[in-house]
Amino acid sequence: MKLHGRWHPRSWRRRPAAAPGSEVNFEAAATSGLDDLEARLNHWSDLWTKGNEPAVRSEAQRVVAERLAAWMEHCFGQHAQSSLRGKGGQISLASSTPIFTAFLGRRATRELSRRVLQDL
Amino acid sequence: MPRMVRLIWILFALHLALGMIAYAHFLVTGSYVVLGWYFSTLGPVFFLVMTATECTLAIKCRSWFDSDEPMRLAWGMIACAALARLGGVVLRAISDGNFARGYWHPFSLLPGGLFTNLSQLGLVVGGPLSMAFLAVGLGRVLGIQRRFHLLGSLTRADKALLVLVVAFSVSQLFIILPLFGGHPSLGTMLLWLSDPLLSLLLIEAILVRRSVIRMGQGLLAKCWGMFVLAIVVTSAGDAAIWAGSHNLLSEPVTALSWYIWFVAAAAFASAPAYQLAAISLTRGSSLHLVGK
Repeated sequence: MKLHGRWHPRSWRRRPAAAPGSEVNFEAAATSGLDDLEARLNHWSDLWTKGNEPAVRSEAQRVVAERLAAWMEHCFGQHAQSSLRGKGGQISLASSTPIFTAFLGRRATRELSRRVLQDL
Repeated sequence: MPRMVRLIWILFALHLALGMIAYAHFLVTGSYVVLGWYFSTLGPVFFLVMTATECTLAIKCRSWFDSDEPMRLAWGMIACAALARLGGVVLRAISDGNFARGYWHPFSLLPGGLFTNLSQLGLVVGGPLSMAFLAVGLGRVLGIQRRFHLLGSLTRADKALLVLVVAFSVSQLFIILPLFGGHPSLGTMLLWLSDPLLSLLLIEAILVRRSVIRMGQGLLAKCWGMFVLAIVVTSAGDAAIWAGSHNLLSEPVTALSWYIWFVAAAAFASAPAYQLAAISLTRGSSLHLVGK
């Protein structure tokens, strides 16, 4: 492509070339990317608390989930948790932070996270 | 119930109690003296207090979001809507001479012919302009709710109501379009936007209501629920004005319908109070002890 061609409006709208024979769905990729990120965050949380006994770790996770559920109910309502629980798992900080940040703001969510993790 | 919300509704209840005394006097005597005094003096004061509260709380809500957060724009627009409503109340009160009776009258006629008088300018600022800001703000909120899959699917009743609202808006076009031939003032033309904008707000309110039902009874759900209540009540007030102008309502019912606007003002003021209560909860509550 000539240099001036790069600045032509038509080339701005051109989609990036996909791998041969593959249908790239950007919406689906974005969702699975978030799920992947959440799984990785949970995995890293597990590694971070590796020194603890598994029973202590699961108890801490349960307390965090209960506190988050209480916050969720106070802020959004009793039915809001079901839409965030995702694939049958417990509510985690990773899964609930985006919605809290969107509706309460970053600063309030930071404060909320600090309170949820207090004494753990 | 958060303290500020309770305060708003206590104030509303006291104001309404005084209003009912005035209404009872009207029913017994048939005289508009006390009722007229109530609506020309206490009414504007109540609107001023409510819109000023709403505006202050909405600005506070906005300040809790950083510049790159989408809800900042939403609350900014809601604050602008509240400010426009406050401006409208002030302009109309000045025009009607309710503040320092007589002193403001020399200013009530506007030069230039864009608006027929200060009262019309107040109606435009507090009506279509405020509605446009609110429509943008609620549209933004709906976008965020959609992203988090909080918008529930519409029921048949919702869809029927949507069709009704759209049909009403289209029918209004047929009434308004022929009036353009009479060279109306800019103010009059802007006031014609009230019904289409109110229809748009009703559509948004129907969608927000679905998300509120899907969420439950939390503080944020109640915040958006208050906006829905305020919009529905405003529409009811609008319908009452239309019915009154076509002599479809009796005199006592027409007088009673004027109280609707106080409910709308209290609901509009309660909405940011609920949002601020949710934010304040993260700073000073004992909720972190839950689950221990």
